[in-house]
Amino acid sequence: MSMMHLLTHPIIVRDAAVGKSALTQVFHSDGSHFPKGYSMTIGQEICVKSVSLPETSDTVELFIYDSAGKEMFADYAAQFWDHPSAVMVVFDVNNEKSFHSCLKWFERVKNKSSQHIPAVLVGNKTDLMDRRIVTTESAKSFAQGNGMEYFECSAKSQENVEAPFKFLAETFRKMYYERLEVMKSLAA
Amino acid sequence: MDVATAESGAQILLATSSDSGNPPENMIDGRLDTFWASTGLYPQEFILSFTTLVNLKTIKVNSFQVKGLKIERSVQQEPTDFETLKDAELSPSDASLQTEEYKVDSSTAKHLRFIITSGYDHFFSVHRLSVEGSPVS
Ligand SMILES: Nc1nc2c(ncn2[C@@H]2O[C@H](COP(=O)(O)OP(=O)(O)O)[C@@H](O)[C@H]2O)c(=O)[nH]1
Ligand SMILES: [Mg+2]
Repeated sequence: MSMMHLLTHPIIVRDAAVGKSALTQVFHSDGSHFPKGYSMTIGQEICVKSVSLPETSDTVELFIYDSAGKEMFADYAAQFWDHPSAVMVVFDVNNEKSFHSCLKWFERVKNKSSQHIPAVLVGNKTDLMDRRIVTTESAKSFAQGNGMEYFECSAKSQENVEAPFKFLAETFRKMYYERLEVMKSLAA
Repeated sequence: MDVATAESGAQILLATSSDSGNPPENMIDGRLDTFWASTGLYPQEFILSFTTLVNLKTIKVNSFQVKGLKIERSVQQEPTDFETLKDAELSPSDASLQTEEYKVDSSTAKHLRFIITSGYDHFFSVHRLSVEGSPVS
């Protein structure tokens, strides 16, 4: 098995205040940091996190692009939007409108890419049990219908936050090995 | 003669992607079935260095999924002061290698820098580099 260091930059999109920045920060800090104060994501923020994949010697480095959405069409952000290599669409399970926006976000990102990109749908804020509106079943079937993997988590209680990021890293790695097979076959 | 072979003393000084299973030296081993693979994101680049200053004739690149390719040259002993030789957009190739050949008569170089600015996939590969040229005497 070779040592390898893959680089990918997943884009995270969603309506405001579903908890995307909180998710990114909890993941990035290995759970030691849930942002207490509320601050809207204004511009672009990039956070880098290495994911070691168990049972391989491979590392996938995620350049997570924390997007406020508005700048999706701005020139300065073009380098991130032109070649998205993975996408995470986040919604708040207690907020129906944020769920309905997911398709719009997902399609915008897909339209920016001519290639297949690994995609996950994430329902956040599962800790607010009595306020829950979007069911697991409806989110799951929406995800499946759009070729996304579905995850549920809570950034606040730090539950399952790593899973969607790890899934993207693992999928990106698999894609790399598939491409290597094609590359190997070309000169045959 | 092909001055871009490891046999003739050419070296890859730097490459931005490193998968030890498909190292950059695979581009100058004279074989098409071995390759350097990028491991994600654009741009990517590598620097090819000759043992001495050479008169260039043609640069040939066999690759897969490369779209934007910039080739620069440096005549310095150290790889500095690069200037553009070629700025190309390659066509996609379905299930075969891309073969690009550039005439660069009347240029000299000690180092060539290849910058892959974009691709047709998340990953691309470069299988062989050939540079026809002769040492400046
Ligand atoms: N109860 C709860 N609140 C959360 C969770 N994640 C984020 N929040 C809160 O939701 C608000 C918006 O979070 P933020 O990460 O800024 O959302 P963004 O606009 O999507 O980046 C903040 O007040 C967070 O504290 C969660 O899992 N559970
Ligand atoms: Mg080779």
